[in-house]
Amino acid sequence: MIGMRSLNVAVIVKLEPDFSEGNVSYNADGTLNRAETKSILGPHSAIASLAAFYSKVRYGARITVGTMGPPIADAALQQAQMLCDADELHLYSDRLFAGADTLATAETLKAGISKMQGGIEGMDLVFSGHRASDGETGQTGPQTAWKLGFPFLGNVIDYNLDLERRTIRAKRLISLQGFYDIVEEIEAPLPAFVSVDPSYQPNFNTVSQRLALGRYRKEAAERSSNYKQYLKVFNAQQMGVDPKLVGLPGSPTIVYKVEKIPKAKASRKSEVIDGANPEHIRLAAAKIHEILSGAVVK
Amino acid sequence: MVERFDAVIIGGGSAGLAALKQLANQGKQAVLIEAGTSPGTKNVSGGILYSKKPKDGKVYNVEDVYGQDFLSDAPFERMITKYMLHATSKDKIFSIDLTAAHHYQANYGCSVLMNKLNSWFAKEAGQSAEKQGGGIVSGVHVRSIGWKSNEESIAIIETDELEPFEAKAVIAADGVNSEVAELTQARDKFSPHQLYQGVKVIVKLPEQIMEERFGIEYDSGAAHLFAGDVTLNHIGGGFVYTNRDSLSAGVVYHYDSLMRNPSEPHTLVDTLLQNPMVSEFIKDEVAVKQEIDKNLPKEEQLRIQFAVSKLIKTWGELRHAYYSANGRKGLIESGKYKSDEDIRARVESIKQELESKYSTRFVTDYVELEYSAKIIPDGKRCAMRQPYYKNILFVGDAAGRGIFIGPRIEGINVGIDDAARAAESVARAIDRNVFSEDYLGQYYSQSLEASPYTKDMREIDKDYLKIFLDAAKEVPRDIIGQRYGMVLKLMSSGTLRGLAIGFANILGFERLLPLVESEETYVQVPIELADRLGKQVTSTYNPSIPTVAQRIAKLKYNDDRISHIKVLDPQSDFMKKMVKLCPTNCYSLEDQSVVLQHEACVECGTCAKETDWHHPRGEMGVSYQYG
Amino acid sequence: MSEQSQSTQIQNAPSASEDCSYRHLYVVIEHDDGKPVPVSLEMLGEARRQMDIFNAKYSSNEKVVAVVLGNNVRNLCEEMIYYGADAVIYAASPELQYSRNLVDTKVISKIARNADLTRNFSPEYADSFKKPRYMFFAADSIGRHLSSTVMAELESGLASDINKLVISDLDIRHEHKTKGQTIRYEKTLEMYRPDFSGFLWTTILCLDNRNPVAPKEFHPQSCSIIPGVFEPLGRDTSRKGSIVDYTPEFGEHDLAVKVLGRQVIKSVVDFESHKAVISFGRGIKESPEENIKLVAELADELDAAVGISLPISKKPYPVSEATSSTYMIPDRVIGTSGRKVAPMLYIAVGISGAVQHIVGMKESGFVIAINPDEEAPIRGECDMFIKGRMEEVVPLLVQELKKQRPAMQVSNR
Repeated sequence: MIGMRSLNVAVIVKLEPDFSEGNVSYNADGTLNRAETKSILGPHSAIASLAAFYSKVRYGARITVGTMGPPIADAALQQAQMLCDADELHLYSDRLFAGADTLATAETLKAGISKMQGGIEGMDLVFSGHRASDGETGQTGPQTAWKLGFPFLGNVIDYNLDLERRTIRAKRLISLQGFYDIVEEIEAPLPAFVSVDPSYQPNFNTVSQRLALGRYRKEAAERSSNYKQYLKVFNAQQMGVDPKLVGLPGSPTIVYKVEKIPKAKASRKSEVIDGANPEHIRLAAAKIHEILSGAVVK
Repeated sequence: MVERFDAVIIGGGSAGLAALKQLANQGKQAVLIEAGTSPGTKNVSGGILYSKKPKDGKVYNVEDVYGQDFLSDAPFERMITKYMLHATSKDKIFSIDLTAAHHYQANYGCSVLMNKLNSWFAKEAGQSAEKQGGGIVSGVHVRSIGWKSNEESIAIIETDELEPFEAKAVIAADGVNSEVAELTQARDKFSPHQLYQGVKVIVKLPEQIMEERFGIEYDSGAAHLFAGDVTLNHIGGGFVYTNRDSLSAGVVYHYDSLMRNPSEPHTLVDTLLQNPMVSEFIKDEVAVKQEIDKNLPKEEQLRIQFAVSKLIKTWGELRHAYYSANGRKGLIESGKYKSDEDIRARVESIKQELESKYSTRFVTDYVELEYSAKIIPDGKRCAMRQPYYKNILFVGDAAGRGIFIGPRIEGINVGIDDAARAAESVARAIDRNVFSEDYLGQYYSQSLEASPYTKDMREIDKDYLKIFLDAAKEVPRDIIGQRYGMVLKLMSSGTLRGLAIGFANILGFERLLPLVESEETYVQVPIELADRLGKQVTSTYNPSIPTVAQRIAKLKYNDDRISHIKVLDPQSDFMKKMVKLCPTNCYSLEDQSVVLQHEACVECGTCAKETDWHHPRGEMGVSYQYG
Repeated sequence: MSEQSQSTQIQNAPSASEDCSYRHLYVVIEHDDGKPVPVSLEMLGEARRQMDIFNAKYSSNEKVVAVVLGNNVRNLCEEMIYYGADAVIYAASPELQYSRNLVDTKVISKIARNADLTRNFSPEYADSFKKPRYMFFAADSIGRHLSSTVMAELESGLASDINKLVISDLDIRHEHKTKGQTIRYEKTLEMYRPDFSGFLWTTILCLDNRNPVAPKEFHPQSCSIIPGVFEPLGRDTSRKGSIVDYTPEFGEHDLAVKVLGRQVIKSVVDFESHKAVISFGRGIKESPEENIKLVAELADELDAAVGISLPISKKPYPVSEATSSTYMIPDRVIGTSGRKVAPMLYIAVGISGAVQHIVGMKESGFVIAINPDEEAPIRGECDMFIKGRMEEVVPLLVQELKKQRPAMQVSNR
């Protein structure tokens, strides 16, 4: 790889509530109790980190992980570093960023990426998760890509790079709910922005790659145990963002109200019906017709 | 280009890892291939690891391979200092102190949990191997081994996960159900008469409660063995070993005896747990949730469910830490608590909150952490006569090498000794770049012949026998006399004993075994002993023992949709017995045909003899957290 | 309008003139080579309903505009009109045969900003047209990303995964949007999205900044819509509308992403597009071949997909090769090692209810179990438990369903 420009990779991650059983806590009204529920690196962010790690093991990439959030969001960076052996960790943290919707968040992240090694011009690949599990909806990634001017490749399940031609070849899983699933193979020039499908699994298929994997994993564990050494914190001013484009002023949308969804579904308390009684069967058949005619909406 | 390595070790149990470490110690490159997600996840042991001090010859002990770090880092549980044998009959127990047998030719013996132990071995061996350009590759399952047609000494290894690669020498450390042995037909699959089936549960028990109950200190431990009515008429017995903050409680039975009189493995372990002495050993304070009122709104039910689960979890963790000096120290250092008393008060207040607010009850019961099973090779019946094939060397369980003499069950240390010998043989072959059977295999075979363990697998050790006779001095002669009168007479004096054993050893271990390894020894005699001399032991509660389904639900699996086992003849008698003998009830009988549901399989190999049996693909199947 | 009486107290928005810059509801259609994805029709149905109410309420004449990108899919454009669109803007090019985020975003954004295209179907609003008022996308693996990038390009707001929509006039007081004043926002799209917990609805609004410090318009108000939520209209070939051709132009960078290949992964079993799923398990064992036929008959009657429990996929019973290769296949397995389904109606026939199976069907709407054993765990996982042997219950049930069928159809009208 002598003479070849190194590969700069960014991963955008998010700190999210831990929804796994035993860790999540709910309020009396069934809403998430954010104070009691601990936060972790979001599961989709974790997959994005793994995808970036693949570029490290296979192509020796230099990785920076970035997140926007309060100071405690550095926990997400630490966990991501554990997964991808990041060389640098970026926390974009400022009161001005609070209340941002996805468009304003994308603006902040774009500014953040400009602070990474080589700036936006020197960036080769940016990874983000499919979506966050606590409300945001997979918009931040594509919107950041658009602001960066990078082609956005969504639902990526596999990728490889051609470092000489500086291209990415990727497989995407397009699933149009119950209509069809397609695996599409695409090629794009670098830089590119990749959002990783939840089913992505890095595949290392030679003994040597696996041994390298082991070494980088160990390095990752060591680094993440001293993650503060790799951490840089930026505020709005240091990032040079336009305050009109971030936080509340930069957000087109607001949350107007939150209400309980009226519950239609009954809990499963089975009514026992005698299969030998024709009258019972008649009732069962009527119920089936009622459900299928849409009288009962899920 | 196909990658080639000097040495490839298949299987990352304690034997494989020792081979890797020892090769690295000698400056050789070696790669270890392990099917589990990481070394240790597929391993189960009783388990006690010994460091031996043989009267003749030399063995490679764990500290010979890993250095004194083993003792200072202490990846083991407790040094065993007390070793008791209990004869049981209903609520009566007659105990014999066998500590001398435990110490026999041993530097020490310590209780171990295989996941922790092998993780430590893997860390040490992996680090050393990396320095030589090798290392550990986990999550890869070896599917086949072939040889280059023009180069007999280059093995081509194919896996389910990776591109094929080549090896000059292979060490097969893939366990009792060795696929390498089967692929190469280096040996037959083991038969029931050569094997034991072990089933074990890990029971949670706070450290200091255990120490008080077992009469041990922080740096000591106890091992208790059981024979008599707890065996349900099988040849074998039960055990309870103290770990750091858990107990290993399990049973080991001769597979032949299970075939003759099939009992469900979990029933056998449950019977042990229900013995009053064992029940008392395992008991602890357990929180029992109150049923949530189903008439409450669903959100409220959910809220209560989460609140209660969380409180119980906190109570359990805090209490567990409170009963450990290190645990208390950690909590105080974290700054969350000021003093021991502070912690105790918090435990108590959570308990009160649970009782008053949520009607949680606190009862005497026990907490099971993990259920596991393993097939154990009886080395005196199945050790490979020729433990090599082409450039492959077989070690440990894969070679059928384990010590199984009465209560003396040793496998881990035997595997480590084998591995060190295999590593030395491979290193020598690398130096000369000769990997032929003559140069590599035969050298290894000779080295094994010189191992004191090999001798133990072939001959009765009269000194070891004497320890038993001495321990049983108080046992009235008439109980033993009826059955073993002749033997006793022969053994009573040193001279006669020497002669008798000499004669026995000429006759051969195998022919004598049915005499000693009999229901008499493991069932009738202990029952009679307990009935006549035993003390009454009572238990204050009935342990609520989980069902097999509940035990399986607790295990961690990575489900493979493709079954790693194929039933060959669903109507055979053997397969019909598997319906009972499979420790996780994977087999059921439908219209006289045996049907397999492999999802709950713990890969013990109980059914391997008459099935097309493979280990699951890389990272698939069960992952033990204790082992 | 009764609300007007109140509006005197409310500072009126200085946006009356701006309001006419944003017209119509644009629906971005997804299709596979001319075949519309169901959610496209669902979006059109909802768009039609919303704009009918809108036009009546505000005495206006804004349109439902379907945006179609593709190659040789004019037929699809006509279909869009039959399903409720007033007009279709059709961007045709071989480059648009398959959806590619980059080029699609460019084309859709240009269409959204093109007033001339609207002249054809809405000449009265064309002169002042700047951007669509509202925009709908599908919340699926194409639409989710496309909606995001289009809104990044149009610099407007987006709510994703919507399952309820209301257009209304809202009095808003917001720290930033209105600088703490109460301002009436007319014709605001209330976008309801179910929260991740499933308990809550969050209503998202996309609002102009009317804060004098930094005024800024945010249009279109747009959202992505969960497939399967809204009812499509019936296909009506008497509906009329215009198809406006748009010839896209591409820059070199727009086509940077190349599609090298596409491989359709079609599952043999389509659980998602059926309202009902019927699964069978080991309860068929007494006469497997006959009993599977019974299940098939019931499935046929209800237009249901057929699932199986895991043990069945291991082919434990001797049946004919045809039955075996149709039904006893891993693709039909519902549960942990198979598929997860959530139909409106789930019928478990002869399934005891192992946890592994329950995981695969617990999200179903209404669950019926047919089982002779009242102690079977499925009893606690169903809404109706029909106690009996399937051999007896299923034929009775099929007969009864057939008997009731005409009556139900009449009452539906």
